[in-house]
Amino acid sequence: MSRVLLVLLLALVPGVLRAQSSQFGVRGLGFPGRALAVRSQGSGGGFGLFDAESSQNPAALASVVALTSVFTATQGFRQVENPACTASIRSTRFPQLMVGGPIRALPAAVGFSFSNYTSRDFTLATSETIDPRGVPLAVNDTFSSRGGLNDFRLAGSYRLGDRWAVGAGFHIISGSNRLTSVRIFEDPGYLSSRQRSELSFAGVGFSLGLTRQFGPDFALSAMARSDGHVNVDRDSTRVGTVDLPYAFGLGVKLRPAATLEVAGQSLFRTWSGANSDLLAMGGTGAQNTFEVAVGAEYTADPRRPYRRPIRLGARYATLPFPLVPGQQGQEFGVSAGTGARFAQQRAGIDLALEHVWRSEGPYSDNGFLISLGVSVRP
Amino acid sequence: MNRAIGLLLAAVVLTGCQEKLTAPADCPALCPGGQPQVYDEVFTAIAGADSSYTGYVQPHQAASLLVSNGLQGFEELSLVRFLARADSVSLRDTLRSYTIDSVAVSLTVVARDTNVDGLQLLLYRVAPTFDSASTYVDVAPAFVPESLIAAAAVPDSLNAGVVRTVFQGADLTRLQIAAADSGKLALGVRIAAPTATGARLSALAAGTGPLFTTYVTLNVPDTGTARLRTLSLSPAFNTYVSEVPQVTDPTLLAVGGAPSSRTLLRFELPARIRDSATIVRATLELTPVAPVTGLPTDPARLQARALLSDVGAKSPASPTVGSRGELPPPVDTLEVGTTAVTLEAVRLVELWLGSTSRPTALVLSLLPEASSFSRLVFYSTLAADPAVRPRLRLSYLLSFPFETP
Repeated sequence: MSRVLLVLLLALVPGVLRAQSSQFGVRGLGFPGRALAVRSQGSGGGFGLFDAESSQNPAALASVVALTSVFTATQGFRQVENPACTASIRSTRFPQLMVGGPIRALPAAVGFSFSNYTSRDFTLATSETIDPRGVPLAVNDTFSSRGGLNDFRLAGSYRLGDRWAVGAGFHIISGSNRLTSVRIFEDPGYLSSRQRSELSFAGVGFSLGLTRQFGPDFALSAMARSDGHVNVDRDSTRVGTVDLPYAFGLGVKLRPAATLEVAGQSLFRTWSGANSDLLAMGGTGAQNTFEVAVGAEYTADPRRPYRRPIRLGARYATLPFPLVPGQQGQEFGVSAGTGARFAQQRAGIDLALEHVWRSEGPYSDNGFLISLGVSVRP
Repeated sequence: MNRAIGLLLAAVVLTGCQEKLTAPADCPALCPGGQPQVYDEVFTAIAGADSSYTGYVQPHQAASLLVSNGLQGFEELSLVRFLARADSVSLRDTLRSYTIDSVAVSLTVVARDTNVDGLQLLLYRVAPTFDSASTYVDVAPAFVPESLIAAAAVPDSLNAGVVRTVFQGADLTRLQIAAADSGKLALGVRIAAPTATGARLSALAAGTGPLFTTYVTLNVPDTGTARLRTLSLSPAFNTYVSEVPQVTDPTLLAVGGAPSSRTLLRFELPARIRDSATIVRATLELTPVAPVTGLPTDPARLQARALLSDVGAKSPASPTVGSRGELPPPVDTLEVGTTAVTLEAVRLVELWLGSTSRPTALVLSLLPEASSFSRLVFYSTLAADPAVRPRLRLSYLLSFPFETP
């Protein structure tokens, strides 16, 4: 009964799933999410394709040995710089939720997850002086967006012997952008203007994955994913479609010592498929992205691997939606993390601290992301 | 220990959630859809569809009585007829006659030119036969020195308030009511001052009109206080008359005066504005034929109300005060000497937008109606000079071109 309640409770959460916002999420579909649990975030994302609590590879679910639910919260503190000014930004997001578990009597596991696919949470402020009646008039504009795309994944994995695991996932990609444009005039004789619009998105995708264990100290993982396209409605009227990318990933995991695990992975996404669609809608287009991440996890006591492990990692990624046509943003991050299990390993928390640098020409973000993951194995 | 640390961290992170998402934007890179554009456009009232109508509020229905001594080059006199005073009072189920001890007449000054000192309100006995049809010519002969009963000085320190005149002793004969008048006292009020000026006195319609108070002692063999009575009478009728009747020019637009005039203006807004614009400022621009006249320090207020339906002179308009979530209609204060009138009417024009059946028309009136020394006369759409025709200047934004996505 308690398991059912837990699942129901967690199922209510996806409505608030978001990733960290950024000025690099202003264009296109927003800032891409990473579908990582905190454990993988702490190690830079290097373990993402092997991590059952993350949603990058459906085959990784095979490593789930008990019903597990994971909830992630991220608090971001960033400094934004662009030619207009600099500002400090704080944001709170809940980018990852996963529930999964093994199927009795079968070497298989199933699970569902809600991940942030893209995030368009931002408020941009500008000031200027206009001259509507021959008199200079100062105005303040804010343009804000709330929302983004969420990725609801139903996935299953099947273990083929001791070494192989394969998996498949069905993705429902949906979400909305609630856009608001506000103009406030410094002359009280003018009313402020507030205009709203809502974009909604819907699409489906599929993913396949596999992991191959080569002995106890070496493993490979791979995934391929097709997200088709999303239909875009503005204020309930269909305005077009945007092609979503194919994604390909390859990961490797090593255990050079009993207390140390090292992993790395790369992901390639064909976001350029959305380029023409976004340009046609007045955007700045899209470009393919590449991401590489490496990480390590050190465990002082190999018999108790969840007792305050030390995780370190780094990653580099290019961003899909340029602020200025022809340019491409990039992101670099270093991270550290740890975690603990308690209540006979039925519950646990993971912490990750990531320092990120994002830049595209004169535009840059840098700051810290603090993530907390809560996992329950009822 | 681990559990405590974990719970503490979780509490810190989850309860410390704060959002601050506003960042400076550098356009055009960070301005998807661009920036809002404000358009400014002038719409002249529909030619020939602007009209003035007169007769909404008559002088005897006004909230104020006007008295002036040439403020606008002519005189205005006020007239008050009080309710009939009974010649006996009921005491212990018996009507008793009484002896008048004293009488007081109270007038409430609503507004006056506070720059003018030495003001007097002259009270005259007049025949109680005047009515709403009476004119200055009809009543002016009664304002002669022989019928003057009192000159009530308005203290220089009194900007607004009650001016009370008490009659007693021999002066009571001035207020003796003839049997033919059936107990009705009628007074005429004229203003006297070192310079041309005027004053507004509260009228019956305002609920605080003139008051006629008689202090009497009942003729009964009783020494108690029951013998002393006060008989207070409010007006049965009051009005004011002007030495020069107002003249209406059908080629011009009149607002105010007595009987009061209102002006109806009709505009035609294009569909792109009615359907999808956000009006941020709407200014009604009117050009008076002559600078605004009136009582200094007591400016009139021009009010514009949206029509609910357009059926001409009797078109229903939005309430004079806000109701049902609507804000009060726009009002502009008009100082004496104003040569151009601009009325900010954005809240009114907003009512015309969207899928509404409301006519794009408004009615102008002067507040207080028929109770102001000001009467506005504006050029109409028939004016030869397009620059002086009534017009509406709109500043608006069209639908913001939100990038998709």
